[in-house]
Amino acid sequence: MNNSTGISIPGEGGGGGGGSTAATSSWVSPTSVSTSGKRIQREMEELNNDPPPDCSAGPKGDNLYHWVSTIIGPPGTPYQGGIFFLDITFPSGYPFKPPKVVFKTRIYHCNVDSAGNLSLDILKDGWSPALTINKVLLAIRSMFSHPDPYNPLVSGIARLYLADKAKHDELAAEWTMRFAK
Amino acid sequence: MVSDEPKQSPSEQRQSDPVETGQNVEGLFSPRFKSLAAMAGWDEESILIASLIVEDTPDRQFKHKKRSDLHFKTPPSASSRRKRRAQRKSPILISVPAISLEEEELPEKQENHQKEKKEIVAKEERKTEGDELKKDDSAVSCSNSVFPCMDKLREELSCAICLEICFEPSTTTCGHSFCKKCLRSAADKCGKKCPKCRQLISNGRSCTVNTVLWNTIQLLFPKEIEARKAAGVLNTREAQHQTLETRSNTGVRSSSIRPSRIQVSRGREELNQDEDLTLLLSRDTSGRNRRGTLSQDEDAESAQSLPREDLARLLRRDASGRRRRGTPRPGQDEDAALALRLQREEFMEAFGGGHHAHSGSSLSMARSNLRAMASRAINIRMRSRPI
Repeated sequence: MNNSTGISIPGEGGGGGGGSTAATSSWVSPTSVSTSGKRIQREMEELNNDPPPDCSAGPKGDNLYHWVSTIIGPPGTPYQGGIFFLDITFPSGYPFKPPKVVFKTRIYHCNVDSAGNLSLDILKDGWSPALTINKVLLAIRSMFSHPDPYNPLVSGIARLYLADKAKHDELAAEWTMRFAK
Repeated sequence: MVSDEPKQSPSEQRQSDPVETGQNVEGLFSPRFKSLAAMAGWDEESILIASLIVEDTPDRQFKHKKRSDLHFKTPPSASSRRKRRAQRKSPILISVPAISLEEEELPEKQENHQKEKKEIVAKEERKTEGDELKKDDSAVSCSNSVFPCMDKLREELSCAICLEICFEPSTTTCGHSFCKKCLRSAADKCGKKCPKCRQLISNGRSCTVNTVLWNTIQLLFPKEIEARKAAGVLNTREAQHQTLETRSNTGVRSSSIRPSRIQVSRGREELNQDEDLTLLLSRDTSGRNRRGTLSQDEDAESAQSLPREDLARLLRRDASGRRRRGTPRPGQDEDAALALRLQREEFMEAFGGGHHAHSGSSLSMARSNLRAMASRAINIRMRSRPI
């Protein structure tokens, strides 16, 4: 937790005296954090042991809650051969709250806006604590081959996708060449 | 037929009759017994009251019931009992059981104990034999295939929420199992739907532990479960350090959500304390479970779901558990007491009714018995008397 060092904590000097601990534990549930930490650690192990195809993910620095991930554009799509970077941020309420996933590489896709935000159901209302980063990455990967133009973030791309798929694919491939290689 | 007889034990008959009629007092105690009582310094009334009260104590009722049940299961002992009963009915012997009113219970009880013990031992032997057979069967494959199989089992028995071996698994109506704690938090924070299939789950609050699954998990992964139990106990202490760490952590990122979290986490904290307590308690009971209630249908259940070698392991462990709990029950002291008792009984039977009044030991026994009865009677009277 490198960003924790700069912050001074009232009551830290007290060495866990009665008053200070009561104050600290009253606003952050200790178990939820420890469970999220444990769970993220577990997911990391699993990803290392059995990574999903064309995907990789791991902590950015030594902060367990901040990950970086790469997805290689699946063959047979206009994104083929591109390497897309994503930032994953785990909330302290993970896995009961969904992780925040943002594209760091620009992509021509109707479900990803220019800031890199995704419209993916399982990352919002459709989140379930039984989902893992592994599954999230697979879902994003399948998004490459199956865009959802009916729930777009960029309506122009969605419209083009529905009207003229060949043109859409051409543009997507061009963007991939430009930004993801 | 057999079950009817022992229900009315002779001692009950002897003493419950006068309660109703109130006139059979003369016939109740033999003259010899009465003289003994007089020597011990007790009049007839107090003896009667004492014996009635002793007879009324629930403890003894329980013993009677238990015995009759056992007799029903084991007819040979019933027949031996019938013999003894016949002896008691003979007029010469009537005072013998009257003197050792309290103690005559013991030999029979201990006999039953022994029988139980024998049964347990027999069962054990059968079990271990079966074990060895199975062990031999799977010995070759066992050493090799346990590991991949255990990996699969670990995967199957993991909670999808914490990704660890299910701790106190709770099964939803849709058939998915999670740690009780995890399922409860999921229902609290993510709505009342199954994390796996999103089906509506009735109530996350009242989730119960799937005992069969929980016992199976405890048998398969004892180390992990022990570790988690230990962690659960330490949790409260660790919490101090972790909150310090996380405070800074979350303080950076989520300052905007803070106010709402205060309330939530306060509730959660109370919950945690509760759960720590139940964790402690459940450890106790689960330990008992492991020893006591590994019933056969459980074994059958695991037999269906587990490959053979794991079943063999399970059975082995089960058998060892049974052995462990089989031995300490009749302790050495009890055995010695039983031997003494049997010897004494033999002696009594061999010499008929003539000797007991003369022997000093039986007299002192009678005295102490009476004293004990009377003091109990007084105690009970004192307690039951309205103040």
